[in-house]
Amino acid sequence: MRTAFLQTLLDIMHTDKNVITLTADMGFSVFEDMQKEFPKRFINTGVTEQSSIGIATGLALSGHIVYFYAQAPFATMRCFEQIRLDVSYNNVNVKIVGTASGFSSNQLGVSHFSLEDIALMRLLPNMTIFSPGDPLESEWATRTAYEIAGPVYIRLTKSGSPVIHESKLKQSFTLGKGIEITNGSDFTLLVSGSLLPMAKQIIDELAQKNLKGTLISLPVIKPIDNNIIIKKAKTTKYLFTLEEHSIIGGLGSAVAEILAESQSSVFFHRFGVSDKFTSITGSQPYLLDYNGLSAEKVGKSILNFIAK
Amino acid sequence: MNKTKEFETLVLEAKELRKTILTMITGSHASHIASSYSIIEILVYLYEKVLKIDPHNPNKPDRDRFILSKGWGVAALYATLAQKGFFDKKLLETYCKDGSKLIGIATRNGIPGIEATTGSMGHGLPIGVGMALAAKLQELPYRVFVVVSDGECDEGSTWEAILQAGHHKLDNLTVIVDYNKWQSFGRVKEILDLEPFAKKWQAFKWSTAEINGHDLSELAGAFSTLPFEKGKPNVVIAHTIKGKGVSVLEDRNEWHYKTPTQAEIDIAWKELAE
Repeated sequence: MRTAFLQTLLDIMHTDKNVITLTADMGFSVFEDMQKEFPKRFINTGVTEQSSIGIATGLALSGHIVYFYAQAPFATMRCFEQIRLDVSYNNVNVKIVGTASGFSSNQLGVSHFSLEDIALMRLLPNMTIFSPGDPLESEWATRTAYEIAGPVYIRLTKSGSPVIHESKLKQSFTLGKGIEITNGSDFTLLVSGSLLPMAKQIIDELAQKNLKGTLISLPVIKPIDNNIIIKKAKTTKYLFTLEEHSIIGGLGSAVAEILAESQSSVFFHRFGVSDKFTSITGSQPYLLDYNGLSAEKVGKSILNFIAK
Repeated sequence: MNKTKEFETLVLEAKELRKTILTMITGSHASHIASSYSIIEILVYLYEKVLKIDPHNPNKPDRDRFILSKGWGVAALYATLAQKGFFDKKLLETYCKDGSKLIGIATRNGIPGIEATTGSMGHGLPIGVGMALAAKLQELPYRVFVVVSDGECDEGSTWEAILQAGHHKLDNLTVIVDYNKWQSFGRVKEILDLEPFAKKWQAFKWSTAEINGHDLSELAGAFSTLPFEKGKPNVVIAHTIKGKGVSVLEDRNEWHYKTPTQAEIDIAWKELAE
């Protein structure tokens, strides 16, 4: 996913000399080629997230399009007030790229987990939020962010995520529209970001148990696709959300807000990280599973909800 | 015009600005009169003698940029901008009143000449560094001027930006510190001492000047040659008096918050008329 981001950003920098990449000293083994090729337009501002957001704003106010890259917790939380006042208020062309989101920094604990970033970014007017779930969505998000004249947050996870979408589908990705991957009438699973492969596995495994689910990927959390959510709440009896983020403030909250005002009677449940700190270490799948997020556990819960 | 005559004109302009600000602030029962008064001579000198700007073309790409990082002193900036013809002086009457765009903290909302939203402390200098970097990248001749408060030099983001400007050799950037020795709760020296102040900037690869920020000839001296040194950003540490120009407002921190009462207003008008 990160590779797709990097390649797309390099392509953009080749075609538009106004694009600048700023990093707060992140990107070892990621940005070396970019630095060589664009020694002036790749700027490492040092470990300075707060002033970096100000610098990005100053550059954007002077006609540049700026991609600011740092680990998700530091790109969003360390400098939230700067993002709010400098970037979001001024509606400037700054694209904040938070890498290693969720439990990606699995061995590093709470300081490096990023499970609140989407909630914070959703609060800000003018902000578009991408949470891509596979390399195709990541490439599309990076390119679309460039085309949007204003602030964007792109939430990335580790490299090595599998491709889920058929590549010909790429042409049909549209800002503010969910992507329907499977169509089944028994339930709908809405997923955003890194757990897209898990969601696909859940759908496939439940299909073998004769439970046909609709799977929708929402790579854009703001503006979210209200229409598809309301439509699926009408056409299927069960609606679930799945995300590697706190259940407060992310995809689940966004969908809940829409459903609460929609007169829908759909059964609704959020799968995400519950409202407590995870103060253990382990592999990313281990930490997710510890929080109830595995294909097996989520699949079983869905079965149980529907059987009731 | 000889130097003395020239400065006399600027002294008169400074006095007029203080009167305008007094009317604005008392008219809307606003705060920060003392913060506005301590930067008057700095603004007058920059806007009359230093900045390459065109009030009728405020977004000209190669204009010099001015950022009032201590955005709570914005009454002084609005008064200066109106005086220069950026917008109609009548607009000043709306300062801090219902529905006005003249907000009590510098806010980029379409008012000509306001380049950045500041006043949350430690925001103006990083933005100025970004603008100065952009000038270097685009090979444009414009310069960036940022007025920061002494209190703002407590903020980590300010020192991050000082480090960055020195590292990137931004000699097109000039900071003026309004060193009036007061911060929100009391004396800078007692709350979080900045001394040795000039040495700190020098250690961060800046070139420094230290002047009386109300003395126009000292301001003229400081800005006579920019950059001070090639390859280094410039800082003018301007020693100022908070509330300068009206005896009862001078060097008293309560005028960061309070609006002058009628008794003080009368004294102010009398002294400013002299």
